Order: sequence, then structure tokens, then C-alpha cells
Amino acid sequence: MRRILRLTALRVRRQFLDWSGAWWFTITLVANESLGPLAGLFVWSAVFPGDPRVVSYFAALIAVQIMTASYENHTFSETVYQGTVSHELLQPQPVVIGPMGENLAIRLWMTLFGLPPAVLAGFLLGATYRRADLLLALPALAGAAVLRFLYTWILALTAFWTERVHAVVTFGGMLVALLGGAVAPVSLLPGPWRAVAQVLPFHAMLGLPADIATGAVTGPAAVAALGRGLAWIVAFTVLAAVVWRAGARRYTVVGA
Amino acid sequence: MAVVVAEDLTMRYRVPVRDGGLAAALASVVRRRYRDVDAVRRVSFEIAPGEIVGFIGPNGAGKTTTLKMLAGLLHPTSGQLRVLGFTPGQRKAPFLKRIALIRGSQSVGGSQELTVLDALDYQRLLYDVTPGDYRQALAELTGLLDLGPLLQRQLRALSLGERMRTGLALALLYRPRVLFLDEPTLGLDVTATAVIRRFLAGHAARTGATILLTSHYMADVESLCRRLILIDHGRVRYDGPLRELAARLTPYKLVRVSAAGATRPDFAAAGEIVEHADGRWVLRVPRERVARVTAALLTSLDVADLAVEEPPLENVIDHAYRDGLA
Repeated sequence: MRRILRLTALRVRRQFLDWSGAWWFTITLVANESLGPLAGLFVWSAVFPGDPRVVSYFAALIAVQIMTASYENHTFSETVYQGTVSHELLQPQPVVIGPMGENLAIRLWMTLFGLPPAVLAGFLLGATYRRADLLLALPALAGAAVLRFLYTWILALTAFWTERVHAVVTFGGMLVALLGGAVAPVSLLPGPWRAVAQVLPFHAMLGLPADIATGAVTGPAAVAALGRGLAWIVAFTVLAAVVWRAGARRYTVVGA
Repeated sequence: MAVVVAEDLTMRYRVPVRDGGLAAALASVVRRRYRDVDAVRRVSFEIAPGEIVGFIGPNGAGKTTTLKMLAGLLHPTSGQLRVLGFTPGQRKAPFLKRIALIRGSQSVGGSQELTVLDALDYQRLLYDVTPGDYRQALAELTGLLDLGPLLQRQLRALSLGERMRTGLALALLYRPRVLFLDEPTLGLDVTATAVIRRFLAGHAARTGATILLTSHYMADVESLCRRLILIDHGRVRYDGPLRELAARLTPYKLVRVSAAGATRPDFAAAGEIVEHADGRWVLRVPRERVARVTAALLTSLDVADLAVEEPPLENVIDHAYRDGLA
């Protein structure tokens, strides 16, 4: 385990250096990730004019979106298509460390570029948070980061079977936006939809940290939501291992 | 004990096929058809520790597929495979730390923004090379591969030859015991090719590493390998000493003669004339007659120079590819 952590840290460092030359591209990624929550902010501010909870929620959502962004369909799937994943398969470490390290490095850069403007915008627009809620939102944010990576990683692994991985991941992203709280806060969804959205993993990937930070989900409800997120992490970890094994087997059977 | 053992190694791909045209495209939506392609068929061989073996064959013969199976990148459809006592397909860390697959077409993988020194340092940590061994290996490889001017350069900015030298350094930093080299001089100029060949020969002599080499450049094979495995259409056609293959396929040698004043009739009884220019003659002479013919030429002509040569390996291999080994 120590070796895995050391190798992951090493990979993050390496990818952080690697991405240092692409700061302008990172800024476009930040802008791209912010667009969805911004659209939600404009729409819901029009629906509930003057409601500070709307601004607080979507400002927090921008931060969550930036800090949990995942691009494994670009960073990993392309290596499958180009055959360069063979280099990774030959290295004495789990292949997932590579995409995981790159994911963390990209998020670090995006947080560096994206979080200060998001905080500033929230402050200027009047977003307010309670310190206790923000602290409780931290484990939800960590869970969202892990869950979002696992989800995108599993979808990206379909590159072993199809050359249309970007369509698969885009569809997955639409589900996150629709049911995760970007198009509409889950708390504002109609009853049955809200119940479904709270059980599915998408809320834990995106909207839950923002809901907790704004105080929309508190106390036992927050603990239950965190528990559901944890259960999804376990389920996705198992699923990722199964899909990886099948994918790697397929890759190494049909030709590397 | 053999380092590499392949027994009845077979690799079969299943590839989708369909006829051309719209109707066939629509039909393939509901009913896909497949065809089996045998890339490697019941290949068997063993390689002893320290051996350098040339693994050659025409395009599509199954060389790279075999190399990928040996390195653990491909799972054989059937057959047995052991490398250093490991089953390669399991890709266990102790196995991966003892082998290297270097491909001329993709000599340096991973992040291309890193400098060569960063990449080497990363390799050190990845393969658990001790600081002392790292310093020693780095100094040695830097000297032998002339890496000094490259160390501060980014991988993406390296030329083809520089990439290959860097790829070799990255692969050899952890001193793998078995090297699989797939076209290591692909696309390199004469000087870069010579550097790589000299380095590989020296490395094998210094470390006793086992090397399996594929190359379309027969000079690579000739300068590095004593043993040759010839593969064609997925089957091993020859496995033995390089020189024996030449003797088996070409029952003649080339005799080069420089003799002032010699004319065509002077060589009529010696053998077939294959070249003639500026007083230099090249004769194709059956192997069993070479001694007698050279003695006769030396006594009957004013010979300034005479050399007996094996036919070029390219010709031998071309013969094998086109006409088989029967």
C-alpha cells in the first residue's frame, strides 16, 4: 500500500510538471466546467430572484465541478486507441495509477486557476456559508472526487470495446448534470425525481457537497447521504476492477 | 536452464468482416461475421541465458505478436510460455522488473513534456533502483549512449535517433535480464544505427543479458546474433546458427577477383560470373569447389586481390521468404 501511495504521489508530481506547460488549456477547462453551473445560476436566479441560497448553491457547485473534473476519456482512452497504453502495461505498477495521477494533477491545476475566481464571484454575488456546513461538506467533496473519477474511469474503459468512448462519457456527463444537481438542485426536483436522484450516485458526485455547504442537507440526512456516497464508491471500485480486468484481457487478446 | 521457453505458442485473432455496400453494412448491424486470423501458429523455441537471437521474418510473419506475448502484452490463444520462470501474461511486478520491450516505433512512452533526466529519475523510483546503482547506471549509460546533451531536453523535442538512445537508457537503467527488441534501428540514419548496434553488442557482453531481436535490417542481425529464428506465416521455418542458414539456402559462395588483363573466358570454368567492372570480377562458385577454383585462379591469372565471401544475408533471407526452406 505504501508503495502504491508513493507511486501515486510520484505520478501526480510528474503529471503536475507535465501540465505546467498547458496553463492556458487548463483555463479553458475551468471555463468549460463552470458553464453548466453558471447557466443554472442564471436560470434559477430568475426563478427565485433575490434568494441568496441560489447563489450560494451554484457558487459552491462551480467549485465542486472544478475540483472533481475527470477527463479519463481523453487521458486514458486515447492511449488505448493509440496503443501507447502498452507502455503502462509493461510497468511494474497498477495501470490505474497513471490516470489517477493525471486526474489529480489536472484537478490541482484547475483548482489553482478556478477556485479563486469562483470564491471571488460567490463573494461578490452575496453567497454565504456557515463554517460548520463547510467543514461537513469536505468529506462530501472528497467522496465526490473519488466517485467522479471512478465513474469516468469505468466509462473510459469502454475504449477497449468501442471507438466511440467520447459519446459514452458525454452521455454519462449528461446524467451527472441532469440528476446530480447542475441542471436543477436536487432539493428542487419534483418528489419522485428527487427520491430517485438522491439514491442514484450522481448527486454524491456533484450536488451533495454544495447542498451540505449551503445547509440544504444537514444532520442525519447529510450523514445518510455521505453513507450512500460511500456505498457507491465501494460498488464503483468493484465494478472498475471487473471492467478493467475484462478490458485488459480483451486488449491483450485482440492485439496491443 | 532456458530463460525463454515457448511451446506450441499460438495466437489467433478474431476479426470482423463484411462485404462492401449498403446492404452488407445494414446486414452487419443484426448479424456480424468474423474471421479467424492465425498470427502465430504452434511456435516453439528456447533461449538460453546470455544468448542473442535474431527473430526475423517478412511483414505480418508474427514477430511482433510473439514478442508482445513474451513481454506479457498479449495472452496466447494456446500453448505454454515461460520467461525467467514467470508466465508473462500475468504481468507480475517481479517479472516486469526483469524484462524490457523496446520498440523502434514507440521507443519512449509516457509523458512527453518531461526532460530526459526527469524521465530517468521517474524510472529509478518506479523500478526501485537504489541511488548508488542509479548513479552508476546513469553515468555508464550517459557515456555509452552520449546522453549528456539530451539530459535537460524534453522528450517531445528529441529526434528519432535521440529517442531511441533515450528509450534504451530508460529500459536499461534497471538492468533487465531479458531484452525484447522490436526493430530498434527503425528509421535511424547510418551513424545512429551504428551507435545502437555497438551499444547493444557491448551491453550484452558486459551484462550477459539475453536478447531477442527483430529487425528488417539484416546488418543488425548479422552484427549481433549468432542464432537465427526465421518465422513466416506464424510458423518457425528455421531455428539455428546464422551461418548454417546461409549454407543451407545458398550452396555457393562469392569469389571476388581483381586481375589485370583477365577476360571472360578465363573464368569460364570457375563459376558463374555475376558482376564485372574495371578489372574486378565476382563469381558464384559452388561451396565444395571454392578451394580448387581459388587455387586455379591464383596460378593462372595475375591476381591483385582475391576474396571469398558468403552471399549477402539479405539475399539469403529473401531466398527463404520467397522460396521457403525446403
